[in-house]
Order: sequence, then structure tokens, then C-alpha cells
Amino acid sequence: MKLMVFSLLAFLAAGVSSSVASEGELSIGTEGAYPPWSMADAAGNVTGFDADVGALLCAKLDKKCHFVVQAFDGLIPALKAKRFDVIISGMSITADRKKEINFSVGYAELANMFVAPKDSDLVGIKDIDTLLKTLDGKKVGVQSGTTHAHFLEKRVPGADLRTYDTLDQMQIDLATGRIDTAFADLSALQDFLAKPDGQNFQLVDVKIQSTFDPSLGEGIGVGIAQDNTALKADIDKALCELVADGSIGKASEKWFKMDISLPCH
Amino acid sequence: MDVELFWQAVPVLLKGLKITAILTFLSVLIGFNLGLGLALMRLSSNRFVSGFAKGYSTVFRGTPLLVQIFLLYYGLGQLSFIKDNAALWWVISDGARCAVLALALNTAAYTSEILRGGLMSVPAGLVEAAQACGMSRALRFRRIEFPLAIRQALPAYGNELILTVKGTSLASTITVLEVTGYAKRLMSQTYAVFEIFAIAGVLYLATNLVLITLIRGLERHLTRYQAR
Repeated sequence: MKLMVFSLLAFLAAGVSSSVASEGELSIGTEGAYPPWSMADAAGNVTGFDADVGALLCAKLDKKCHFVVQAFDGLIPALKAKRFDVIISGMSITADRKKEINFSVGYAELANMFVAPKDSDLVGIKDIDTLLKTLDGKKVGVQSGTTHAHFLEKRVPGADLRTYDTLDQMQIDLATGRIDTAFADLSALQDFLAKPDGQNFQLVDVKIQSTFDPSLGEGIGVGIAQDNTALKADIDKALCELVADGSIGKASEKWFKMDISLPCH
Repeated sequence: MDVELFWQAVPVLLKGLKITAILTFLSVLIGFNLGLGLALMRLSSNRFVSGFAKGYSTVFRGTPLLVQIFLLYYGLGQLSFIKDNAALWWVISDGARCAVLALALNTAAYTSEILRGGLMSVPAGLVEAAQACGMSRALRFRRIEFPLAIRQALPAYGNELILTVKGTSLASTITVLEVTGYAKRLMSQTYAVFEIFAIAGVLYLATNLVLITLIRGLERHLTRYQAR
């Protein structure tokens, strides 16, 4: 038994030393089970938006990359244990996670958007200021406790805000016409639009992102160990260039049918 | 406790208390009259009429208020004939009106049972005496049966009023901003769960204390002929 424990430890130690990248290599931790961000097949090949971002980043940094697939809730502990160098797994930058690890600049963000009936006066609005002004006096649905709710409370105090415990309840009231519009992130709204109830609705063509109001979150970032400041500087620079030249935007169009890249700021 | 938070939360929750009071008042007003009608139906000798009242009371007392609220708000809201009928849609389209309807229908069921018990406790001899005096049925009910029944039923009905006040908190689940609705919103803004809900609880308690006092006063007034 003792021998087994010892050999297990030795194995783990070997695993750690082998997966931490030597000079010129970068190992990337990812979930591998969260389409379309990160999907791993049986052979361990990772595809998805995260895989594309990783590949772009490695090309930019001129490093050889490999992915380590790991459950999402174990990614941060594993990074801290040096099982890999960075996390690229659609991970949102939040204050809580920042206590544990560092993040690169945000490189992507699912847009926050409004959805409304096709005949609504909101449809066709193209800029944020007009949109927020038009919301005055309208019944706006939002999930309670979310960054979306806080944003509306702060920015559109004149709106008749209806808060829901779940997105499903909000979708029902949207479909029955009890509310004029709803505010959520794109994946939730696309889910609604794909349902039969969503057939008479469309997105209001205004993306509201954290660049407009930081209370909406800081986007998706690359997780980096707190003591690895040199790597963070390199990755920040590379990500900013990749977003600026449109490569990350192009990769996101492939997986999300729209540009979700987040400009550096 | 954070004093600044207190001054931020109390005015907002008082706004909610106004809505809670309106919800309670309207649903009790409708529910009491409906309940009285149902109690009379229940005591009718017509088996169909009393059976309907019995079935109503069984259904509404036997299902949770939250389920009734969800059925009315989310359930009926999906039926096309409700949406096509302007009057029905006026009620169902709005969370507060739905809440009043659900609370009224619910409290009517309990009220009918309470009043039925009161009416049954009226001694048969008194009714017969009134009959012998030549009083009509309506006059008998107004002068003899109802005044005696309500004296019996008042303590139990006071309980039902308190339950209705507390029941209004469920309206927050269908977007109505009453005390609990505002408390939930404040909680997600400040994360001060304990403080916010403690204040909300005190507001409910104060409301119910006022109601209890009023009912006790009414009870004392109605039974002032009894030596204590």
C-alpha cells in the first residue's frame, strides 16, 4: 500500500514536471466539454473557439502548444498546482476568481442584447443612447441578480423593470406579451429565438458590452498563475494584437456565427 | 447593522408595503364576499349547489397558493382564448391583478369554511323563534344568523387575514414589487441579505399586529354584552 501511494505520488510528480512547459512550449488547460467553446474527442484533440484562440496565441508567441483537458471546477486548482501554464476555457473574469489567479485582458465577450417583437419600435434602433432612451416607460424583463439587472437599474431608471427568478419564466412573459423586451446575453436570447415562441421576435441590433459599462463584467480572459507576470505581459500583448487584426473575431464567427471579440482597453 | 443601508432600504420597502396593503385589502374584500356566498351555498339543501361549494373549498384549500398563482399567471397566460378575451386578458396580463385574483379565490375557500362553522353554531331554536315571529328568510339571516355566526367566526377569521397578508409575499414570484419583491431586489444590489429581510419581516409583523389589534377590538365590541 505504501509503495502504491509512493508510486502514485511519483507518477503525479512526473505528470506535473512533464506538463509544465519548458522554454518554447505552452500547456493550456481547458474543459473540453463546453460547446462551442471547448470540445475534446476521445483521442484528446481539442476543437472549438478556445482551441482556435489557443492556436492563434501560440503562433503569435512562437511557442509549441498542447492542451490538457480538465473539469472546469478543477481548472483553477490545477493551474495553481502548475499542471499547466494557462487556462483557455471560456472563463469569465470575475472578482472572486481574481483572488486565486491572474487574468489576461479580456479577449471575448458574448454580447448583451435586447430582444423584442418584430413590430416593436425598438427593432431598428442602431445606437445605445437612442435604445436606452426608448426603453423609458417600457416593461423590460431581466433575470434577477444578474449583471444585466444591475445595469438596467443604474442606466435606465425610467424603465418598468420586471425581474424573474429564471430565464424560462422571462421567456414565457416575453412570448405572452406581458413585457415589451428582455435583456440578457446572446446565448440565452438565441435559445429563445430558436423556440417556436420566439418566431415573432428579433434581436435589437445594439451590442452592449463591458467597454460601455464595466458593471457588465470584464469578458472572457486567459487564466495565468499569479507568480507568472512575464507570461501575462506576453499574452496581453499577443491577445491585443490578435483582436486588433481581426483573427479572434474571425475565429468567433466560425463558432458563434458572430464576432464576440473584445477590443483591448 | 449599517445605518446608511437602513435608510436606503426602509423607504423602498415602505413603497412595497403600500402594494402589500392594497393586495391584501382587495383580495380580502373580494374573498370575504365570495366566501360568504360559498358558505351559504354549502349549507343549501340543494345537493348540486352544496357539492359545488364543497368541491371549490377542497380544491383551493388542498393546493398550495404558489401553485395557484403560477397556474393563473403562467398557465392561463399561454391559452389563446384568454388572450383573445379583453376582460380576461386585462386580469391575467398583469401580475398584481393575477395575485389579487389568486389570493381572493384562495382566501374565499378558507373564509367559506370559517363562516360555515359560525353559521352552523347558531342555535336552531333562535332561528325557529325568529321564524315564528314571522321574519322573512333574508331578515332572519341579517338580524339573527349572520350576527351570531360572525361572533363565532371572528377569531378564526382574524387568523385567515394574517395568512392572507403573508400570502401576498408570493406575488413577488410573478414580478409584483411588494415588500418581498423589493427586498429581493435590494438583496441582489447590496448582498445584505440579513438586514434587508429583517426589515421586511418587521414590516409584515407590524402590519399583522395592527390587524390583530383591530380584530380584537371588533371582537370585544361585538361581545360587550358578555360579562368578563
